[in-house]
Amino acid sequence: MKVSRKNIIGLSLIVFSILSIYLLNDEGPTRILVNLLAFAGIYAISAIGLNIHFGWTGLINFGHAAFMGVGAYTTILLIPHAAGREGSINEDGLPLFVAIILGLLASAIFGLIIGLPAIRLRGDYLAIVTIASSEIFRLVVRDQEDLTGGVYGVISFSDVFQEIRPKFLEELALRLDVSVGQLWVASFSWIVVILLICILKRLQNSPWGRALRAVREDEDAVRALGKNAVWLKLQSFMLGASIAGLSGILLAFNYGTLQVEMFVPLLTFYIWAIMILGGVGSISGPIFGSILFWAFISETDQLASIIFENADGQQIAGVRFMLVGVLIIALMILRPSGIMGKKEELLLDVK
Amino acid sequence: MLDQLGNGLLLGIIISVASVALSLLYGVTRIVNFAHGEIIALGAIMASFFSNLPTSRYIFFESTSPLGLSFELSLVLSVIICGTFGAGLELLVFRPLRKNNFGNIAVLVITIGISIFLRHLYLIFASSKPQDYPLDLQRREQYFLFDLTPRDAKIIVYGILIMIIFGLFISFTSIGKQMRAVRDSNELANITGINSDKIILYTWILSSMLAGTAGIFQGMINDVRWNMGFLILLLVFAGTVLGGIGTSFGAMIGGFIIGIVVQVSVALPFMEGHSEAKNAIALAIMIVILLIRPQGIFGKKERIS
Repeated sequence: MKVSRKNIIGLSLIVFSILSIYLLNDEGPTRILVNLLAFAGIYAISAIGLNIHFGWTGLINFGHAAFMGVGAYTTILLIPHAAGREGSINEDGLPLFVAIILGLLASAIFGLIIGLPAIRLRGDYLAIVTIASSEIFRLVVRDQEDLTGGVYGVISFSDVFQEIRPKFLEELALRLDVSVGQLWVASFSWIVVILLICILKRLQNSPWGRALRAVREDEDAVRALGKNAVWLKLQSFMLGASIAGLSGILLAFNYGTLQVEMFVPLLTFYIWAIMILGGVGSISGPIFGSILFWAFISETDQLASIIFENADGQQIAGVRFMLVGVLIIALMILRPSGIMGKKEELLLDVK
Repeated sequence: MLDQLGNGLLLGIIISVASVALSLLYGVTRIVNFAHGEIIALGAIMASFFSNLPTSRYIFFESTSPLGLSFELSLVLSVIICGTFGAGLELLVFRPLRKNNFGNIAVLVITIGISIFLRHLYLIFASSKPQDYPLDLQRREQYFLFDLTPRDAKIIVYGILIMIIFGLFISFTSIGKQMRAVRDSNELANITGINSDKIILYTWILSSMLAGTAGIFQGMINDVRWNMGFLILLLVFAGTVLGGIGTSFGAMIGGFIIGIVVQVSVALPFMEGHSEAKNAIALAIMIVILLIRPQGIFGKKERIS
């Protein structure tokens, strides 16, 4: 009974936020909505990954942006692309799906490399190690210009992804007056979200899913029952990391360019805000969290430009980020279980 | 490599002061404070706000404009503001959280929220343009082995003085002793009649004033930016962890080592042309230390897994 009430609240919030986009934007509300849904879908995937780490297993991962980045860089650099200052096009590459699978594998391996030594650390120490690893990743990618394009980034890689889009989308995009490329990214992301949720619903109640939650609740008990708690944590870390990798790949296709500054620690905290807003540990929570979060952001941008007349673009963006900070504080104090989460499933104290 | 040693010393002093502050706060309150960087930035930004002339090219938000006070007065004022700000954080945010038994992960996430909020408040207030203090340019001179401007040398001397005073304060004064007592065991300290709420308030004030001082120093050698606190925060974490999180003396040495390593690593042969990645080395050191000796060089052994 209680769960259905939560669903109704969540759904009505989503309907309300989508309506507000149509009410507040006179020009091209559908285009804004598609843009919002593309970002919301991608961030929802990432939040699903983070939820496996923190919500299921209780691992505090502050380096999520790097997992997204590893997936994105691996895949994009394996398909035809143009990287670096000169931007000469590298024509040959692997087929897209092979590259995506390798990207997911790379993310999982990166998760293993960080997790293998760090996973034994207590919560707050794990937080510091993961955020430091993500900064190391960012600094190294920035530095290795020959391989990754450095600060110049990678461009001209979207064609292989757009080639596989179904033909009927073009007609639909024409009718809705939206960019067909973004419509395809948005639809693809939401298909992935739905698939992931179906898979995770099954996983959650499997023996493996229950063992993960047991690790979160009482690691010693898990050990006493003969399960390998460290290996379970590592599996969770790798699974969440490769899901994050997938969202990173889609993020790159959505932007049409791959820049290392996309993977700053702030991205990680966006995903945290979405996960908490949706409900830590809840499977469908990231959907609600992500759509609400992005609706909130797109509306605050407008509000900020009305309130602060003389502000430049960066200051307007500052208002948005400031409100994200307020959102995180308010949620943690007032409703740490978010919209869909259960309070008893929330790990808030280091053991 | 020697010419980088002076810069290393300078950065080392700054990180050291900031690490001591972070470590003290963690020791007494058990809060891993991600907003520490923003308190560092507050010191720098306030000093710039007080000292720059109203007509200068620095853009502050709309009606607010810099005040043009003397630099020395600006420093004192901004350190006082940082202390007040720390007290405000404790009284308005962290004491209520403590009274309501918020878990430390919840508090950690809240400090991140505060950090994101403050950083972008600075962006709105002070704009994204880097600013600096109204100080003259100085020529570099030779001090022993180090190649520094007279102002840099002053920063180093003042930094060392601040840490000596801090060391004496924490070792010999009554409040310092009470802080150490609360750090060792909050319950035991309460039993012996120490008002731990009061001591935690003093800790916040002291930690924030030290952080603000570090920020001013950092603003004097580089420039003042809205996001300077976050840029230096991970180095401060590295210094704290290296020395031993919760220790005072350890964090001092740890911060110092990190600063020197970051600057000197630029001169290493394999780092040639990769100077932008120098922070990665400090972070890697921190990770390695956490893995092989999580209590740091000077920390006491404690269960951390």
